[in-house]
Amino acid sequence: MKTASRVLGTAFFSCGFEVQDAPRYGAERRGAPTFAYVRASQKPIQERGVIRNPDLVIVGDDTLPAVPAAGVMHGVGAQTVMLIHSRDDADSWRHRLNLAGPVIVLPTNGDVAADTDLPFVGCVSAGAAARLTGVISREALMAAVAKELEPLGDRAVRENERRALAAYEDMEAHEGVVREARDIRAEEYEAPDWIHLAPEEAKISAPAIHAAATSEHVETGAWRTARPVVDEARCNRCWWICSTYCPESAIAVSPEGRPEIDYDHCKGCMICVAICPSHAIAAVPEEATPREELESR
Amino acid sequence: MNETAFKRMKDLPSTHLLGTGTPMCAGCGGLIALHEIYDVLGPKSVFVNAAGCMTLLSVFPFTPFRSSWLYTSMASAPAGAQGVRDALDILLEQGRMPPEDDLDVVVLTGDGSAYGMGLSSTSSAIERGLDFLYICYDNEGYGNTGHQASGATPHAAKTSTTRGPGGFSGYKKDLFSIWAAHQPAYVATVIGSEPLDLARKIEKAKSLRGPRLIIALAPCPTGWEFEPRDSIEIGQLAVKTGIWPLKEYVDGSVAHTVVPRRRAPVEQYLEKQGRFAHLFHPQRNDRLLAELQARVDGYWDSV
Amino acid sequence: MSRELLTGNGAAAWGARLAEVDYVPAFPITPQTEIIETLANWFESGEMPGRLVTLESEHSMITAAGAAAATGVRVFTATSSQGLLYGMEMIFSVAGWRAPFVLVNVSRGLGTPTTLESDHTDVLAARDSGFLQLHCATCQEVVDTILMAYRIAEDTRIRLPVIVNLDGFYLSFTREPVELPDPALARRFLPPFDAQNLRFRASAPTSQGVAVLGGSPYSYFRYQAHLASLRAIEVYDEVADEFEAAFGRRHEAIEAYRCEDADILFVMIGSFATKAKAAVDQLREAGWRVGLARIRLLRPLPVDALRRVTSGARGLAVIDQNLSMGQGGVLHSEVASALYGHPKAPPILASFIGGLGGRDISPEELYEIAAETRKAIDEGRSPLPRLLFTRDELREIRKLQAIAEVERNELEVKR
Repeated sequence: MKTASRVLGTAFFSCGFEVQDAPRYGAERRGAPTFAYVRASQKPIQERGVIRNPDLVIVGDDTLPAVPAAGVMHGVGAQTVMLIHSRDDADSWRHRLNLAGPVIVLPTNGDVAADTDLPFVGCVSAGAAARLTGVISREALMAAVAKELEPLGDRAVRENERRALAAYEDMEAHEGVVREARDIRAEEYEAPDWIHLAPEEAKISAPAIHAAATSEHVETGAWRTARPVVDEARCNRCWWICSTYCPESAIAVSPEGRPEIDYDHCKGCMICVAICPSHAIAAVPEEATPREELESR
Repeated sequence: MNETAFKRMKDLPSTHLLGTGTPMCAGCGGLIALHEIYDVLGPKSVFVNAAGCMTLLSVFPFTPFRSSWLYTSMASAPAGAQGVRDALDILLEQGRMPPEDDLDVVVLTGDGSAYGMGLSSTSSAIERGLDFLYICYDNEGYGNTGHQASGATPHAAKTSTTRGPGGFSGYKKDLFSIWAAHQPAYVATVIGSEPLDLARKIEKAKSLRGPRLIIALAPCPTGWEFEPRDSIEIGQLAVKTGIWPLKEYVDGSVAHTVVPRRRAPVEQYLEKQGRFAHLFHPQRNDRLLAELQARVDGYWDSV
Repeated sequence: MSRELLTGNGAAAWGARLAEVDYVPAFPITPQTEIIETLANWFESGEMPGRLVTLESEHSMITAAGAAAATGVRVFTATSSQGLLYGMEMIFSVAGWRAPFVLVNVSRGLGTPTTLESDHTDVLAARDSGFLQLHCATCQEVVDTILMAYRIAEDTRIRLPVIVNLDGFYLSFTREPVELPDPALARRFLPPFDAQNLRFRASAPTSQGVAVLGGSPYSYFRYQAHLASLRAIEVYDEVADEFEAAFGRRHEAIEAYRCEDADILFVMIGSFATKAKAAVDQLREAGWRVGLARIRLLRPLPVDALRRVTSGARGLAVIDQNLSMGQGGVLHSEVASALYGHPKAPPILASFIGGLGGRDISPEELYEIAAETRKAIDEGRSPLPRLLFTRDELREIRKLQAIAEVERNELEVKR
């Protein structure tokens, strides 16, 4: 998504807009959900930081709206256009997320995105978004892709250009659907609900944790794009290999010697898939897992 | 000590003490080593941490530990361990704390701290005979800030501050020997991909008193540029090629605990990692590859 | 001259490059690291002559920076937060060497608790060191200010190191349009460093940074550094004039935005000042007479300029993105001491603490700050200091504390 924000930012800029774009790095690492944002305006941009009320939200991984910590729905209002990479259709997303604004799903032909599409999600997003704004030309988009992906080499640039352009053409029917929101006016703002903090004793107000293994509340399972699945028939009950090598402590072995994967926390590193001597663990694309199971999380 | 509870792989724990849900990267080799170490060490421990990737293990209100934790700074974790150990001793001596409440004091730092900023504090803690265990997860660079070259970076590796055709011009510091030169109770190298060797060493370290120091090579998908799934294989290659010798220092002498019978060529290890890709593409750098192989051969010839 | 999109960190690296620095001692720390990575790559590729060396700590890094400056080369370095603090002994020491160089600090809150996000408590801890301090609000200012900083630092009337500050995340990782000065113009504006007697040479024995015995020589040397710092107020204005003549951009020591005829002024430093500008525009549209006084030059503090800019106002709302424990906002104290006893000082001086550890300040909050200040003006009494902190935020904290089992049964979890 950092790529998407940079491509979109550069494209806006070359079309004469003032621009601000930034990725948001958190404390979490490779594989963790991330986001980036872009502001564009004909006037100098004075606002800073994370966008509070976005005009367009682009979701690169459709498992994220179900994860509150990912903050997909933050500040989404009736004006907000939602663009989702998903195999589910726009109506089901409108219903599921209770969205009042326009919802657009990519790819438009309903094909399930292949694993090989994943590296291009940034440029596809930028390509689609460029058309939705209605103010970015094909040429500006292509030049932005070339500029931002140049370090990856010619082949990567061409492949990304192709996909960005396809997404741009795909969005023809929705051209200009994204509208610039009004600034919050000083006559009619909602006053912040400030409080004066009362002093509390250090045993409460020091940053200390008085419980064990609270990190289990953090469902890092949302990081996965694919999940390891054990084929019971092929598992030779070695008792230790996948469980010992799993960095996350997310595989336990039952008393009968069966590995049990904790999908709430498995980050999808696939070490278990790579290391199982009897090839009993397979990587299955996350999107192919039952939708109900995702929603029950 | 001849008796070990870890005679074969099936003796390794199959349920794990370290909690899930950490913010470490998927496939983190340091986390593999830590969770294996923690299983042997047990929950009666307090981890004293220095700035590095693992500082983010404990972010309010989340911690994966079933025991205690104190973050100090990048330079002074062993001094933090000194304060905790001394205070526990005082409480024990004066009968203000029951003996069963005592803890193993464990310093947990990355290589940035261990090989660099924290070395003075470590040296002094060993000199004072501090009863503590030091665990360094060594991913050969300042991983938490995007993998810049550190004192642990190997020769020729590309890092975010050494992107030229020759990679890092320095040589990986021999921290094992630096620590061993202090004559502490125990020094060992381990790696998560050799869990039995690791378990025996932690078991031994736990049985000893005084300064005990462990360096765990930590294959790092993000900084070394490989797919997370290959983390274990790369660790195994580090041992098979002889580039990461598994050894221990105890009672004044060094012993190798795993000796590869026929060492695989070092380039098998190097070619799997993006940080060494410039040694193979666009042209093979035979001179550097030969130098790296010769350094490994020279090491094993000398031991 | 073309504009391009650059992050604050990218702009800082460009500032060093355009200043043609010789030497960069470095140590990585978030959110600064991108600066030294960028410079490392330019040195490695030969795009920049000179040398970058990674030290093992900020203490060593700042020592090496001062030592190289004392040997007569142009030095640049960068750090943030805990790194600045770890090097703090040397921050105070090297300033006394009177060897000029530029240190970029990318502001980040200090531990404990550890955070990666921005506030100004780190850089303000260096307030009394002898380093001059310049605070940037945009990525453009970052590159411009670095060039200006070398001019001021190296001026023979000054000869003090300078900290150029930019905010983590809000500037460091944010791309904005930046007009990069033409290298030839930059060289004309900032000629090569003439180190004069700052040197170690076989032909010219020199002992620098020496000790003293007794309070008299100590007082003399320390007070001379203070006087040099004060003199930087006039040197700053000269350099700002020259910069404007060369590049067409004016950077005042105190930026006064719509201050003429204003009743209420926001007073602040750093990148959130652009948010305040937007708020000023909206408040003006709503009929409020509001302005912004943004302090760019914090050390030395341009007291006369501050008095002049604020003299027509009836109330000042000082927004501090920092916290001096047991006192409150550092900027609030600075402004109070600068204005105390001045006949035209605004009667109301309100203190707001906000934006700690990267917490955002919303437009509504800026409107409310203006409203509270206006109320104080009407009542003729400065209000109690206020932390920008909402009931919802406390509710979220309570949830986290419940997970952390803080005082298990005592803490009420309010829904």
